[in-house]
Amino acid sequence: MSDNTVTLIIDGHQVTVPKGTLIVDAAKQIENEIPVFCYHTKMDPVGMCRMCLVEVGTPAINRETRQPELDEAGKPVIRFFPKPMTACTTPVSEGMVVKVDSESALEKRKGILEFLLTSHPLDCPVCDKGGECPLQDLTIRHGPGNSRFDYEDKQRFPKRYPLGDLIVLDMERCIICTRCVRFQEEIAHDPALAVENRGRRAHIVSYTDPVFDSHYSGNTADVCPVGALTTRDFRFGARSWELTNAPSVCNHCGVGCNTVLSTRTGQIKRIMPRQNEAVNEVWICDKGRFGHHFNGSPNRLTTPLVRKDGELVEASWAEALDLVGQKFAAIKEAGGANALGGIAGARLSNEDLYLFQKLFRDVIGAHNIDHRVGLSATLEDETAYTVGVGCGTDLSRTGKGAAILVIGSDLDQEAPVLYLRVAGAAAKRGARLINAGGRQTKLDAQAQTSLRYRYGTATHLALGLLASVVEQKLVDEAGIEARATGFAELKKALQNYATAKVADVTGVDAEEINAAAKAFAEADNGIIIFGLEAGNDSALRAALEALALVTGHAGEADNGLIAVLPHANSRGAADMGVVPDRLPGYAPVDGEAGLSAQEMLAGESGLKGMLIAGVDPAAESEAYQAALEGLDFLVVQELFLTETAKLADVVLPVKGAAERDGTFTNLERRVQAFDIGVPAPGLAWADWLVLVAIAGRLGAEWLYASADGVMAEITQQVPLYAGMEFENLTAPVSLERKTSHYIYEGMSFTADAREGVQWPTLAENNAEGGPKLPLRFIEPAPVAGDEDGFTLVGSRFLYDGGRLLAESQVVESRIRQPQILLSKLDAQRLGVANGDEVTVSQNGVSVALPVKINRMVAEGTAVAPRNVAGRPVEKLVGPGGVYATVKVEKT
Amino acid sequence: MGNELLEKYVLFRHRDVEDIHKIDGYTANDGYTALKKALETMKPEDVTNVVKNAGLRGRGGAGFPAGVKWSFIPKDIFPKYIVVNADESEPGTFKDREIMTYNPHQLIEGIIMCAYAVGAETAYIYGRGEFRTLFLGRLQEAVDEAYAKGFLGKNILGSDFSMDLYLHLGAGAYICGEETALLNSLEGLMGQPRSRPPFPAVEGLYAKPTVINNVETLTNVPPIVANGADWYHQFGTERSPGTKIFSLSGRVNKPGNYELPLGTPIRYLIEECGGGVIDGKAVKGILPAGASSAIVGPEALDVTMDYEAMAAAGTMLGSASFIIMDETVDAVWAAEKNVKFFKHESCGKCSPCREGSFWLTSVYRKLREGRGSKKDVEMLETIINQMEGNCFCLLGEFTVPGVRTSLALFRDEYEALARNGDEMAQPDHNLVLAEQMLNSQSKV
Repeated sequence: MSDNTVTLIIDGHQVTVPKGTLIVDAAKQIENEIPVFCYHTKMDPVGMCRMCLVEVGTPAINRETRQPELDEAGKPVIRFFPKPMTACTTPVSEGMVVKVDSESALEKRKGILEFLLTSHPLDCPVCDKGGECPLQDLTIRHGPGNSRFDYEDKQRFPKRYPLGDLIVLDMERCIICTRCVRFQEEIAHDPALAVENRGRRAHIVSYTDPVFDSHYSGNTADVCPVGALTTRDFRFGARSWELTNAPSVCNHCGVGCNTVLSTRTGQIKRIMPRQNEAVNEVWICDKGRFGHHFNGSPNRLTTPLVRKDGELVEASWAEALDLVGQKFAAIKEAGGANALGGIAGARLSNEDLYLFQKLFRDVIGAHNIDHRVGLSATLEDETAYTVGVGCGTDLSRTGKGAAILVIGSDLDQEAPVLYLRVAGAAAKRGARLINAGGRQTKLDAQAQTSLRYRYGTATHLALGLLASVVEQKLVDEAGIEARATGFAELKKALQNYATAKVADVTGVDAEEINAAAKAFAEADNGIIIFGLEAGNDSALRAALEALALVTGHAGEADNGLIAVLPHANSRGAADMGVVPDRLPGYAPVDGEAGLSAQEMLAGESGLKGMLIAGVDPAAESEAYQAALEGLDFLVVQELFLTETAKLADVVLPVKGAAERDGTFTNLERRVQAFDIGVPAPGLAWADWLVLVAIAGRLGAEWLYASADGVMAEITQQVPLYAGMEFENLTAPVSLERKTSHYIYEGMSFTADAREGVQWPTLAENNAEGGPKLPLRFIEPAPVAGDEDGFTLVGSRFLYDGGRLLAESQVVESRIRQPQILLSKLDAQRLGVANGDEVTVSQNGVSVALPVKINRMVAEGTAVAPRNVAGRPVEKLVGPGGVYATVKVEKT
Repeated sequence: MGNELLEKYVLFRHRDVEDIHKIDGYTANDGYTALKKALETMKPEDVTNVVKNAGLRGRGGAGFPAGVKWSFIPKDIFPKYIVVNADESEPGTFKDREIMTYNPHQLIEGIIMCAYAVGAETAYIYGRGEFRTLFLGRLQEAVDEAYAKGFLGKNILGSDFSMDLYLHLGAGAYICGEETALLNSLEGLMGQPRSRPPFPAVEGLYAKPTVINNVETLTNVPPIVANGADWYHQFGTERSPGTKIFSLSGRVNKPGNYELPLGTPIRYLIEECGGGVIDGKAVKGILPAGASSAIVGPEALDVTMDYEAMAAAGTMLGSASFIIMDETVDAVWAAEKNVKFFKHESCGKCSPCREGSFWLTSVYRKLREGRGSKKDVEMLETIINQMEGNCFCLLGEFTVPGVRTSLALFRDEYEALARNGDEMAQPDHNLVLAEQMLNSQSKV
């Protein structure tokens, strides 16, 4: 018996568990499932459904001697509490005896179930939860066989009450466990739901505008232990036992949430989270849940198209591929390899991206490849390779003793599930959260410290924090010695970044800078999360890298940097070398680097032919469109006839993520495999197979027969990816990591839980004698003086105008339309109200946008969503820019 | 006038002294001298000890020794709070209202001494929403007067001790008299009980150490501190010392509040104080603690009204709100009334209380409308068995004893009602359906 464990007896079985464990969790260890409704492993216990009542006894203590009383046989006398206890709120204690399946406990359970069923409609045959319903299952196991309650006296409630656009409430089925209310409060930090009225009239309501305003609302339907909350998407869609469940990975952002594709007759019926404690725990956001409709969309391309007489007409694969082969060969013949270039979207899998660069580098012989357009254009990141978060980092456990510095990212919009985890680390588990940004974001409510800097000064703030760490002598000398070089030079350079000066430049209070620097440096573990709004700035990345190294927060689990990358495989695109200057695995190219995406799309790039896969630059700007029109030959691999595809000479239809297998690498460098869920429409091929075919037409003999075969080569060619064979990536996780039966968490399917594999950073390698990392200092760009006008920020929003999301009608009303968010005061000054139009102009460019008043926006700031119809804000701030000073006038 | 047992009132001093609700009236009659004595001559722990030695037990219903409760407050956590439970909402209880209306300064003095004893600097009086007029009027005036005279605020009576007292009104929910639900309500949350542990003494209001006492409990403190523990023991029994206000209602000639020493027989309250049962009828049943009580029959008339004797008689003293049923009262009607009250007031947090009280109401309605059968009477018993011991807080648990004792004492009345139902009993719906199905099949 150690000091931190407790041994107790549950139904005659001895169990040893950590101190503070609840009885319900201790019982799970001996696979004795205590039935629950209100208890959820991720939420604070409340003990209100009373389903988990058990008999509890503790060793009797003699009042006088203070010694345990012993019976005649010398065994401790157990004194049972007079009333049953709720197993979900009672922590274990040494020597405790718990009776879960005693006659009296079973009787109690039966009684509680009968109570819960009094007003519950017995509509299981038409209820979406039927077949995966804790109430149904527990009734069969423990409940009474018939109902004694008078049907006429049942409490009536509305049967299909819309809680917003996405969730429907059937209040008659509700058993008021409040899991949904508590999920919204404790986990999502969007208190959009509440219980109104009391007693049997209590019911669930939402008073937010729009109703049930949260990015996480779908999870409430998962955690609901009855069929009270159903999603619009799945409602009456299928019976749960008819579904086939394929493990997948969400393709909407860089977090890489594990999902399950529940399919029936070749169609996706719903998407649910798949447990992975290291990535998404048991949650996904609504975009991931509802944004799958592009897979089965009637608008999909189903056959290759070839331009004949100015029109795109249907063609066979052979015809289309032959044409691509001939034209590419001819262009290379005439203008050399560098007359060809390619852009691949960061939504493609690692296998696609690896072959994409291999096609250009090995077969064609050019380095003109890139993935950085659209949202990706604004964020470069190679810091993951040097000081990315250590392998084994687990934000679901980050708490007391850890510090998280978020800089320039609105996580709730950009990486929702990462927001849940960071907010939970701070609000629930006691991590110190410092949220630095140019504007207020949702995360500020959970942050102990909010540092509000002037746009354009994020790098100064990062350098100020670094200088303050040095000044306060909080440097990790041993760590620097072991891992880094160039500290003396860095120190010298930092002399120009004294706190007072940085405070003056950034507008952040000097004391707050010092306090934040101290908190971050002194924490046991430190993680830096940085995003788009901190600016696309190599000086910033150098400063953050140095901050991690100097404070010793690098090269270990739960320490290091996370870049909030926009796409599902942005990390993989960098890893696979789909950049003009680096090979797969970050080795620099031999000789001259190729053209970047911006250069290729600038016009007059010298390119004659291009291959564009899974990205739509023509929709970004008219300049890009003109550049693409100027090409001799354009090939596009796409799901839809996008703006770019409309310009193409050959369009090749490809499979969506649910229709093929492959791997994505998430923003924590975790490589995760996804399986095939549904068949592809028409003649679509997987991207990697298209590339194999093109390579074949250009004379290469590639023998890949499957995505898994491509990955086998990657594991050999890219040292970082050693050990990433599909066999490893798809191995189910051990039982102790996969926590529980669905009555505890709400996910009922049976798909494998997998954890994926992370690749190690340089900082981790140099702990084992690898090369040291140079501490870099890059002079930040000078800060522009104060200009008159508004600071317009181009921000990412979850529901943007992306092509894939446009296919999901269920979220249509949430998709951002072009607009400008202003503070109430500024709107009053301009004399505008919600919906009025203003003209936003800068340097001769002007855009008209409707106004939306938003309480989070500060005076003098205007926020406009990026990547929405017409890309208005990009016109003002530029494709890679974050903010601009603009004039706003009433139209 | 019906109260020869007390020479002078201890709590209802307004019945002896006319203008005691005004600060001048109160100070002219030894008001705030106990506070002066405490602040000038006693250490905080001395005050706690006097209250502990006096054996003052909580008057809200549970009867937990107040001094012991105070001594649970951790010394090293700040701030601490005093919360006065004035959510007087047990049916038949109306004693705190009289104290706050007519003798408010004695309560305020008690609060200040309690705060001094435990080291709190903020106190709240949480009143039920229906006390609006009182809280905005007379009680607030009393608090203002106390501030004006320096009994509240900074450096009270020139000492180092400072404290503030705030009045807060609830929105009218019985559950908010449950101390943790009261704290939730005071914090602006939904009035639903919290799980314990942590207990309010450690994590109460805003998760800080909190003493929660009933109005009457704290009103006892000034005379105890002024006169000492031994003086207090002259009233009542050894384990239930002091005087207590008994709220008498129901079928008696003179319902009202009566202050008596604990340990006085019930018969004295009904006959001497209440002027006997209306029209000289016989007592049928007594609810000693409002709707929450186990009902006792006329054989309990000679039980003494103290915590121990009432428990021994199978019921409880509770907040001592005696509701008297005489032989004219329909026992099932009375029990239904209680059950309806609990159904209406159930907060809905836990399923046994929410669903159980709802179901009980449904069965009672059926019985009273003459549609019930013997099975329904038995059903009442199974429902309360399924509730008892399983509820989150005492509200649900208190639904049980009234029904259980009503069934035990007046079974014949239930069965008489059920007989009606049995006569017009309808065949089992399911059996009829099954029969119809069988018939239709045999035809095919």
